[in-house]
Order: sequence, then C-alpha cells, then structure tokens
Amino acid sequence: MVKNYLLIAIKNFRKQKLFSLINILGLTIGITCCLLLFLFIFNEFSYDKFHKNGKDIYRIMRVGNLNGNRQEIPYVSAAYAPALMNDFPDVIEKAVRVMRDNDLISYNNISFNEKNIYLADSDFFSVFSFNLIRGNPGTVLKDPNSIVVTESTAKKYFGNEDPIGKILQFNKSQQLKVTGIAKDVPVNSHLQFDMVVPLELLKSSRPDWFTNFSLNTLFTYIQLKPNTDPALLEKQFGGFMDKYLGNFFKEIGQKMELIAKPLNKIYFAANAFDSVKHGNKKMVYIFMSIALLILLIACMNFINLSTARAAERSKEVGLRKVLGAVKKQLIGQFILESVLFATLACFLSIGLTELLMPAYTHFLGYDLPSFLGNPWFYVCIAGIITAVGLLAGSYPAILLSSFSPIESLKGVLKVGKKGTSFRKVLVVFQFTVSVILIICVVVIIKQMSYIKNTDLGFNKEQTMIIRFDNYDIASKGHQFKNELLSIPAVQDVSLMSGEPGGFHDSYPFEAEANPAEKYLFNTEFTDMDFVKTLGLKIIAGRDLSDQFGTDSLQAALINRTAAVKLGYTPDQAIGKWIFNTIRDSIKRTIVGVVEDYHFASLKDPINPLVISPGKDNRLALIKIKSADPGPVINNVRKVYSSIAPGYPFEYSFLDERFDQLYRAESRQESVLSIFSIIAIFVACLGLFGLASYTTIKRTKEVGVRKVLGSSVQNIVLLLSKDLLKPVLLGALIAIPIGYYAMNKWLQSFAYRIEFQWWMFALAIGIAITIALLTVGVQAIKAALANPVKSLRTE
Amino acid sequence: MIKIKDLEKIYRTEEVETIALNKLSMEVKDGEFVAVMGPSGCGKSTLLNILGLLDDPDAGSFIFNGIEVAKFNERKRADLRKHNIGFVFQSFNLIDELTVFENVELPLIYTGVKSSERKKRVDEVLDKVQIMHRRNHYPQQLSGGQQQRVAVARAVVNKPKLILADEPTGNLDSHNGNEVMEMLTDLNEQGTTIVMVTHSEHDARYSHRIIRMLDGQTVLENIMV
Ligand SMILES: Nc1ncnc2c1ncn2[C@@H]1O[C@H](COP(=O)(O)OP(=O)(O)O)[C@@H](O)[C@H]1O
Ligand SMILES: [Mg+2]
Repeated sequence: MVKNYLLIAIKNFRKQKLFSLINILGLTIGITCCLLLFLFIFNEFSYDKFHKNGKDIYRIMRVGNLNGNRQEIPYVSAAYAPALMNDFPDVIEKAVRVMRDNDLISYNNISFNEKNIYLADSDFFSVFSFNLIRGNPGTVLKDPNSIVVTESTAKKYFGNEDPIGKILQFNKSQQLKVTGIAKDVPVNSHLQFDMVVPLELLKSSRPDWFTNFSLNTLFTYIQLKPNTDPALLEKQFGGFMDKYLGNFFKEIGQKMELIAKPLNKIYFAANAFDSVKHGNKKMVYIFMSIALLILLIACMNFINLSTARAAERSKEVGLRKVLGAVKKQLIGQFILESVLFATLACFLSIGLTELLMPAYTHFLGYDLPSFLGNPWFYVCIAGIITAVGLLAGSYPAILLSSFSPIESLKGVLKVGKKGTSFRKVLVVFQFTVSVILIICVVVIIKQMSYIKNTDLGFNKEQTMIIRFDNYDIASKGHQFKNELLSIPAVQDVSLMSGEPGGFHDSYPFEAEANPAEKYLFNTEFTDMDFVKTLGLKIIAGRDLSDQFGTDSLQAALINRTAAVKLGYTPDQAIGKWIFNTIRDSIKRTIVGVVEDYHFASLKDPINPLVISPGKDNRLALIKIKSADPGPVINNVRKVYSSIAPGYPFEYSFLDERFDQLYRAESRQESVLSIFSIIAIFVACLGLFGLASYTTIKRTKEVGVRKVLGSSVQNIVLLLSKDLLKPVLLGALIAIPIGYYAMNKWLQSFAYRIEFQWWMFALAIGIAITIALLTVGVQAIKAALANPVKSLRTE
Repeated sequence: MIKIKDLEKIYRTEEVETIALNKLSMEVKDGEFVAVMGPSGCGKSTLLNILGLLDDPDAGSFIFNGIEVAKFNERKRADLRKHNIGFVFQSFNLIDELTVFENVELPLIYTGVKSSERKKRVDEVLDKVQIMHRRNHYPQQLSGGQQQRVAVARAVVNKPKLILADEPTGNLDSHNGNEVMEMLTDLNEQGTTIVMVTHSEHDARYSHRIIRMLDGQTVLENIMV
C-alpha cells in the first residue's frame, strides 16, 4: 500500500513540475534557515555545559547600584578567594581566581603580545574541565613559574618540537617552564584562553593586590561541596562583606552585596560588563521565531498549492474510494506525500547547509562544531520532517479525502468558496510576516544611518588609538607623546584613561552645590591636550592648560550635563569646587564647561562627566593632519618600537571604535535583511504558483472575454485583483505589529529616529511591487494568449 | 442478492429540490444480468450509486445479501464494497499516473492481498481481457476500447459477486462496445451478478431483464428470452 502511495506521489511530482519545484524550493529554504538557526542555538545553549563539576561551580559577583540600576559586577579583588575559603570551609570545596591579562611572551627571538593569557590559581584545571593533552590537571600550575599553553599556541612558538619543558619569557622579566598542553578551548566556553599562568607569579611584584579588598581586578569562581545549597551560602555573604569591607563602605557612602552566580547562567547574563563571551537570549529567540515563520510560510505554499490542485486529484480520490479506500487511508496517503516532500527538502537542506557553512561561520565569526556527528541534529531533522509533513499535509489531506466519491468522479468539486477563502487567509498571513520583516529592516537601516550621521560632538576622523597595554609604554607615556609631536603630520596627541566610545570609570563626587550629597559621575583622567585633540567645544570658562601651574591638581572640566545635574548654568558652574572622594585628596575648581559629546554609545543618554588632569594613561589618541595616514603610521610605529622594544605595534582608529559599539545592531540588520528577503521570496514563490494555477484554470474565461472584446489591461486587472487583495490586507495588518516591534527595539537607544509614515509606505510598496510583478507576469501571459488557443483547452 | 423497497433519494441545492428516486422498489437475484434503461435524468446513475454503496438513500430499505445496509456508515460501506462489488464506468476512470498493471492492482491493495498473489491475479485477469501485452503502458497510451477492458479487469480482479456498470459502452464504437458486452456476458455466465445502465437497446439485449425507469420510478420490466 505504501509502495503504491509512494509511486503515485513520485509520478504526481514529475507530472506537476512547477508545483513540485515551488514546494520543494520553498520548504528547502525554510528548513535550511531552521537548520542554520538550530546549529547556532544548539551551540548557544551548550555554553559551559562541558564542565564535569559544572553544577557546583559559581562565580562570585558584587552587586552595586549604578545610577539607581542594580548592576552585577564580576570583578572582585584577589583577597576574596582566601577569605571565602577561610570563612566557609564546610561549603566551599575550591576557589579559583582568574585574571585575563595581556603580556609579552617570547621564545628565542619570536615574541607575541598575548591578549588571552589567564593568570589563575593552581586548581584551575581541576575545577574546570579544560582537557589537558599533556600534564596533570592537579599539578600543572603548582610551580609559580610554570605555564600551560593550548595546542595551537604551542604550534605558534615551538612548531613541531615538543613544548614540554621549554622555557618561555614572560614580559621580558620572568622565565616560565611549559608544564602542560591544553586542548584548544572549545567555542562554547565563556572563558577563552591561549595560555594559563599561575597567579602566584604576581605575588612578588604586586603584593598589595592579594590583600587589598578594593582592588577589584579578577574573577573568582568557587566550587561548592556536592549537594550544597548556594542560597544558604549567599545568606552569609552579607556578614562576610561587612566583616571585610564595612569600613570601606562607610567611606564611599554605599554598600555592595555579594552573590554566587551559577556557571551556566553566566553566558546569557544580560549587560554584564566583563570581557568574557556572552550571548543574547532574546535575540536567539527572535531569530528562532523568524526562522520558524519562514518555514511556516513555506508550509503554507504547500497547503495553498495542494488545495488549489485538489480538483485535479479528485478523480483519483473518487476512484480510490469506489475501490474501498476509507477516509483514514486517504488522509494517510496525502500526509505521506507531504512527508515525502518534507524529507526530500530536508535532504536538500542538509546539503545546502553544508554548502553555506563556510559563509555562515564567517558571518558568525566562529566555527560551529560539526553537526553531522551531533545526534540532536538528527532529532531536529526528524522533528522538522514530522512537523512539516503534518502541518503542510493535513489540511489538503482532510479536504481531499472529504469529497464524496460520486462528486469526485464527476470532477465537479465544490472546493469552492471555503477552500478559496482559506487560501486567501494563508496569503494574508504570509504577507503580514513578510511586510513586518521589511518594516523592521527599513527602521533598523534608518536608525543605523542616523547613528552613523549623528554629530557626536567631537572629531573622530583621522584619529589613531594606541593602547598602553604593556609596562614599557605605560611608564614612558610622556616621552612617547613628546616624540610623536615631533612628527610633522601629527597635529595633536593626548593621553587619557578612556577614549570616546570606550570605558569611562565612575567615581563618587562631592560638590559645592550640595556638599552633603554624593554624585556618581563618569570620569576622564587625561592631560592638557584632551579638548584640543578631540575638538570639543568650551561653552563656559577655559580649557585646562599648563600655563596655570595649579591645573594638574586643582582644576577640572565638566560637561554640560554635569553642570545641569549640579543645578548650574554653564557660566554659574565656573569657579565652584568638586571633589573626587576616592582619587583626590583636595578639591578641584571647575575652570571650564564643555559642550556635551557622546563619550558613550548612542544607546545611552549622555551622563555627567568630569575631565581632570591625572596620571591614569591607558591609551593615546593621535590626531593626524594628512589625509593619507600610511606614512604617519610608519613614523608612529618607529617611535613606539624605540620606546617599547619587543612589543608588537598595534593601533586602531577612533571612528572604527565607534562602529564597534553597534556591532550587535549591524548584525541584526544583516540577519533581518536576509530573513526578510527570504520570507518575501518564499511567499512570492507561493503566489507565483497560485497565479499560474488560476490563470490556467481561467484560460477559457479569458478566451471568451477576449473574443467578446475585453482589453488586455482589463484581463490583467481581472486576474491580478483577486490575488493582490490578500497581499494588501496582509501588508496593512503588518503595520501595527511592525510599529509595535520596532518601537520596542528603538527604546534601547537613548537617541533615536521618529517613526514616519513613509517607512510603512515603503515596506508595503516593496511587498506590493514584488507581488504585482509575480502575479502580473502570469496574468499578462494569459491575457496576451491567442483566444482561439485558449478556447480549445476545453 | 439485492432487494430494495420504497427507496428515496432527494438532492437539495439552494434553489431546487430534485427527487432522483421516488419510492423505488426492485429486486435482483443472484446470477442475474439486469439492464436499467430510461431517459437522461431519470435517476439511473443515482440508483446505481446506491446499489454500489457509494451513496446512501434518504429513505427506504436496501437489503444486500440478506443484510440491511441502508443505514451503514462510510467505513462499513467501504468494507462491504471493496469485497463484493466491482464498478465499470462510462468514462473508464483509470488513474492516469498509474500503469495498466498498477490500475488493476489497486483494488487488491485495498483488500490487503499480498504482493506475490496480487501479481498473479492481475496477470490472470489482464490475460483474460487480452491486454497483457500492454500491462506497463499508461492509460493515455491505450485506445478507448482497451481502456474499458482494463477497467473491466479492474472491476473483476477481486472476484466480486456483483458488477455495476454505468453506460459501459457509452464512449465506445460498436465494435469495442460489443467486445465489452461479450466480456460482461462471460462474467455473468461464470456466476457474477450484473446490473448495467445503458441507453442502447442493442446492449440491453445481452441482459436477462430490462428495468425501465421514468422520473425516479420503475415503470416497466421486460423479461428477455
Ligand atoms: N449531486 C447532485 N445534486 C443535485 N442534483 C443531482 C445530483 N446528482 C443527480 N442529480 C439530479 O438527479 C436526477 C437524476 O440524476 P441521475 O441519476 O444522474 O440521472 P441519469 O443517470 O438517469 O441520467 C437528475 O435530475 C439530476 O439532475
Ligand atoms: Mg447517468
């Protein structure tokens, strides 16, 4: 019986080439989207699941209050770990501190500035399950002068030689012996390292780090004893914090809590400002829904085309009934057919997925684990085949099998009104989804271009960023600056703690305006050339200057927002004092107010900012005169190499830095653009099928009308009208939904565009135009046909 | 074999109500060959559909092989039908996508006959209707007469007790028509009961008895000798 069904399915498939191709193509596209998304999602949800002790591992985090928002801060001081071990010996099995660092590593005469070095406690490899190819997890890091490298890092230094026992130089000062080789860190780990060095190594150079509770520089992970309730531990953290930090809290006037965050919650933590890898659960769900919607659109094509063709198969259905088939068998037969389509499409999708994999991983920026060996992949495939088979097959199956055998045989089926309006509902849905996606893309493109073209309030062109990421350059920053200024093409140089778009600390301030209040303001510690280099506008008072000998200790600039926050007009603010309660020992006088500029992303409102001279040079900004930066960069490189010999010269540009802030949004823009193109393509594929079907069905009518003198335009209109109405309706329904969704999206930007009617008009226009072309081609073909020929088809 | 009494069938559409069968009673005995005649629209096909359990009557009684089947549900009717009744239509009604062999095999699939047995039986009947050489052809590749022979083969492959034929020669020329009538006669001689609707007095002469209908009622019965 099944063989017979398959036979007829295959023969039908061959007979109805156009419909079969449309169905297969649509389903293949839909399923491929789902598979690609599945692989991505599977990887996202597999993060940090490979650690054997995973369910007992927690990251200690401080919880503070930032401008009234609860903020979890992953950085704690190195003093926490021993204190925790000491105070809770019954609960905590092990504590591991992990600090990401950036160090110069040399071997013979090769050296690299390694950015992914972890300084960690010796239990690192026994708490976390990063596989070691060589070395014992319990002991590899016992010796403070040992180092564990990953397989590919070892290749980089030692080629094919055996790395074990080799000596690597650490920041040109310490000798580390390779004691272990780790497998390259899997993609699905929030911790990513190339080398691990014992934290002990720093004990001699930075003893203060290990005892001072307020130098928060590293992550601390604890492994609890099996079957311990972390909530019980967290309850005692209040007392713990008071014990060690009570005095400090009194000093700064605010308190912080401590929590234990489960390892498997770290990856999806929202707005965690640590530098580890994070995923965005919301985006994952949104993309997943869109992929499913595209698959649904493809299924609807299948339903539409199958029901439209129902009449053609009525003879077969009638006959089978006459010969004794019951409804159940017929439903089974048609579902089997759609399952067959789904299976075929699935196989094509697997091939297509393989084919797209390189482009896809390039887009994602990382390799996904091979999917053919992943059993869940096959579960997913089986799920898709079943779901698509049932979804796409059941309506046509029920419809077809419900015909009475006599009517079926006569071929005068009344699929009639009910079938047609059902089909229209599906088309409405397909175009609702498509137009929503187009609206999203239009709004996102507009917002992104708004962001790119907004005046940020400073000059970001032709400005190089050089980070002070090693001791040599950091300690000789001023020499570096002076030598740079002697290069003719260099216009200005300023050393600072954070570039616009980069990280800005926040400190509690006291101010003359209300000495009893603590103001949490962002800070910029810099030199006297900051305003000049960035081209900021002074709106009151004067710039910082060397001419005033006291400026470096006693002067500060604030931005307009800070003045407003303190209750002043810019002019009123001049001459008032302000006091950084942690960094400074004396008050500073506000000597100038700068116009607000976007020192953070346009997602955030401009916060109060205090710019003061200070020695916290984390980078240099170099403003270049000439349009061609090539030769200047070479000169800068020479200066850099002479001051920090052995360190690789690395630089970036300020305008690129700003683009990075919106990387997530640009990615959304590209993903949604692709999705919306696919959605409208699949929807139009179905529309094309329906159009060609209706024109075939109405060939005779068209012939008669033409004989009776109807014009080509009239006929095109007649044939198109019916199909375009649901398209238009779908587009109209999309407006409020698209508005709602994008309004929500725009809320994440403090600076954003307003909705304009043309955005919706454009989206609808695009959809209608494409639909019109799809339907119109068929209609025109029918309208131009020779009426004699059309009449003969009867 | 068939005994119907006061059978009624009324078609209702939005505007009109058509009484297709009006308290019709008749009987067909085992092994009989009955021809049904009458003007177009008098209800012959409706009667045949009900006899074939393709449709249910609105009122009246229909006893098939001693069982009252007028109130049978679809499932039971399908079951009874596939084991006992074969159909031959004016327009052949072969499935275009299937070969001659596959078309004839279809009823056996629905009665659950095993594959090897099916092959044997299909080849047997194809041989009998002399279409064996065309077993792998598609219906469109055959002449009308050949198609109708395939349809007859399909009707008898399950060895039904009753064959219902609705104008089986209506689309055939007289030569092919006669061939089909010969086949039906042979089948009848081997014990199969046949009820045939026809417009042709010539064809009707192959039967034992003619039932003449008018406006949904039987008006006359001729016994042939
Ligand atoms: N499905 C139907 N709906 C409405 N009227 C029908 C239907 N089938 C048949 N009829 C009507 O019932 C009457 C009998 O039809 P039918 O049995 O096909 O006649 P015959 O086969 O003798 O030509 C006719 O008047 C026909 O119009
Ligand atoms: Mg008839």
